[in-house]
Amino acid sequence: MKAFHLIILSFVLLILSACTQPIEQVSILAGSELKDIKPMLDEIQRETGIQIEFQFTGTLDGAETLATGQLYDMGWFSHAKYLSLLEGRAGEKIIHAAEKLMLSPVIAGVKKSIADRWGWCDNPSVSWKDFADRASSGQLSYAMTNPASSNSGFSATVGVQSALAGGETLQPEMIDSEAMKGFAKGHRLTAGSSGWLAEKYMAEQGRVDAIFNYESVLLGMNESGHLRETLCLIYPPEGVITADYPLLLLNKNKTSAYTKLISYFKRPEVQRRLMAETARRPVAPEIGLDKRFPNSIVMELPFPGKVETVDQILTTYLDKQRAPSTSIFVLDLSGSMRGENLDQLKQAMRNLAGADKSITGKFARFRAREQVIVIPFSNRPMRSQSYEIASGVGNDPALQDLRRAVDSLTANGGTAIYDALARAYKTASQAREHDPDRFYSIALLSDGKNTQGDTFHQFREIYNKNHDDYAGIPTFPIIFGGADKHEMISLAELTGGREFDSTKQSLAQVFKKIRGYQ
Amino acid sequence: MRKIIGPLLTGLLIVGVGTGIYLSAGKQLSQLEKATIRGLIGSEKLDFFNDPRVIEALSDHGLEIEVKKSGSREIATRHDLKNWDFAFPAGIPAAEKITRGYAAKKSFQVAFTPMVIASWLPIAEILENNGIVTKRDGIYYFIDMKRMLHVIEQGKRWTDLEHNSNYQARKSILINSTDIRRSNSAAMYLALASYIFNDEQVLENNEQANQLTDRLANLYVRQGYTEHSSAVPFNDYLVMGIGKAPMVMAYEAQYLYSAAENKLRPDMRLLYPEPTIYTKHVLVALTDAGVKLGEVLTTDPKLQKLMIEHGWRNEDISGFDEFISKHNLQVPTSLVNVIEPPSYEVIESTIQKIEQQHYDGAH
Repeated sequence: MKAFHLIILSFVLLILSACTQPIEQVSILAGSELKDIKPMLDEIQRETGIQIEFQFTGTLDGAETLATGQLYDMGWFSHAKYLSLLEGRAGEKIIHAAEKLMLSPVIAGVKKSIADRWGWCDNPSVSWKDFADRASSGQLSYAMTNPASSNSGFSATVGVQSALAGGETLQPEMIDSEAMKGFAKGHRLTAGSSGWLAEKYMAEQGRVDAIFNYESVLLGMNESGHLRETLCLIYPPEGVITADYPLLLLNKNKTSAYTKLISYFKRPEVQRRLMAETARRPVAPEIGLDKRFPNSIVMELPFPGKVETVDQILTTYLDKQRAPSTSIFVLDLSGSMRGENLDQLKQAMRNLAGADKSITGKFARFRAREQVIVIPFSNRPMRSQSYEIASGVGNDPALQDLRRAVDSLTANGGTAIYDALARAYKTASQAREHDPDRFYSIALLSDGKNTQGDTFHQFREIYNKNHDDYAGIPTFPIIFGGADKHEMISLAELTGGREFDSTKQSLAQVFKKIRGYQ
Repeated sequence: MRKIIGPLLTGLLIVGVGTGIYLSAGKQLSQLEKATIRGLIGSEKLDFFNDPRVIEALSDHGLEIEVKKSGSREIATRHDLKNWDFAFPAGIPAAEKITRGYAAKKSFQVAFTPMVIASWLPIAEILENNGIVTKRDGIYYFIDMKRMLHVIEQGKRWTDLEHNSNYQARKSILINSTDIRRSNSAAMYLALASYIFNDEQVLENNEQANQLTDRLANLYVRQGYTEHSSAVPFNDYLVMGIGKAPMVMAYEAQYLYSAAENKLRPDMRLLYPEPTIYTKHVLVALTDAGVKLGEVLTTDPKLQKLMIEHGWRNEDISGFDEFISKHNLQVPTSLVNVIEPPSYEVIESTIQKIEQQHYDGAH
């Protein structure tokens, strides 16, 4: 009897010892810039037994996703301050633990020839105020992300605002819309993500004089070998805001996996590898910075302490300070859109016209001073409708008109994508000639292949022929339904835009994302 | 893996196995089911309870401890205290509140640590040049809190200070602390500042406190975003350096522990506030098991030494002296100018006022 049980036991133990280390899966909602961690995933699994499943999103977007209770085991963003402020306001515990893993300040990179002209290169006293003055007098143009969509744009905006407020921590009543307007004048290139902004800058190097971004991104650009002119990195003495990349524990049942990941990322050799591969600064004080990083002190600005301050900074910037946008929507109303697709489109447009009350929805909606032009098409482009947004809130008559027009859309007929797009470019370039100080862009939605009118090749010829008039007006095509993916990607490349994939996300989510680029 | 073995062994036992297996498995089982002492602790003590040397020393007394960290202010106001064997918050006020609200068995003053300002040599020198810091015996830095708070309240920036060539920061002079709504170390800063603002008297009642609410709130609101737990600003001090954290309100223990772990940089300096205040770590025993732990922590010399290794001061004064000289630290072994914090009620009501009037009532 005893021997029999011993046999069973040894058999059981044998099975147990065969599966050496069980793999634990962990889902992490992460900021899109953390895609550079992906090459380390295999090693992480080997060393910790943890398999990370990343889902990528923007910082503010991610904060909202988590604050509304979506389930992920962990979160990992450039910072968790906004989420923490939301958590505080809601009085509900979302973050069970947070540990900073890397550092990267948001700073400015200025083209060397220009920086040298002003004596800015390696000059520690060049301040945010200097940037505001040069931009205000029209001497400096720059690339910066939309502060409501991306943390680097937000951090730079807070930097200038704080500097103009005399170095004090920003409070809602201190947001100065007039002084900031001068700085905003220089904002010529915008984007919804820091990584894409850098790519756009590299592709169109003649357009602006400077770029605001993470130190890690700017170092990467300087090392890429693709810049015609080196960027002088400037760390203003009023201070900057440093992204500190905390790993957040959201699901308490994953505490032990969390502890393992933290101790892995904090190993000196891993910290060194992160510094070498991502150009972010290590969080281990015993590891010295490599020679790419300047030796000087990086002054840190206080981050606003209230959600209201953050909201006020964003709203004021978008509604009053930044150059307004002319946003053109070229929308497919062919027969295939009938039903579900058209409903999705209507919902997406209604959301931008004020129906989406979420935090990100609030910032994504049509803004004060914006011009929204809708060009519907089927067999041919239909009559375009233009809406001049006044306040952008509540009973704004333009919004009401827009909502009514969206509700009455019906779908019928064929798909003349490029005739409609050509019309959009004509409209945009004429408007730009008349009023150059705006952001012009085109969002294109079609759920099928082109069936009528000009082909993509013919459109390309038209575009190239009119290049001087059309350049700088990017098209953001949406890959939706039966759209021709490759053609949409080529179109984005041709016009300096970027494609958005709506096969995994609702149209409403995609439209919201595109707003970061308009 | 361990999760699988536990139920598996239990399953085998239920089937009724032979004695040989029973004995070895039985031993493991008794370890699994051994009653553990469970407690709520302030986050600053987590490293201590996780230290393998501490775990071993406690296990020599047959004690196995399971702790959950929580903000000290949060511990004091929890409704489920009866489910725990002990509460071990930071600060007398929180301990007092627990002792009064629950039928505590006994409380033990286990350790204490003075509040300090973790800073840097260049900052110490600038403040010395401006008559705010003095150096005593050639090694210890003392900071005059009355003068310091005066400069802070004037809204001066670092660049406004004279004889300052080493820290050209165009930002306000402030002492970094934690979130006043959540953490004891911020409350200790409040206790110190309220003493200065109240003509160097400990606040005795809410009327006195009400007069100072705005001035006190400003010390925190002007910092902008503040962290929830004292570990974070101190870690920022270690990692992000002088640009982020020129002056951080901290426990002396945090600094000394980092010194013992060789995490300090050569230009880091401690400034001792005058007056300063002690954060006393009082273990409130809620059950007999909790009493046992309190007794062991206050009497076992090995555990007292380990506590010193973690930076705290306790009754083993010579042990502390040894620790200081071993790590070559500039730390005065005794402090003279030490004040008491106001009562729990006064501190609590002041924090609530600040919260209502300066943070839109949000928690």
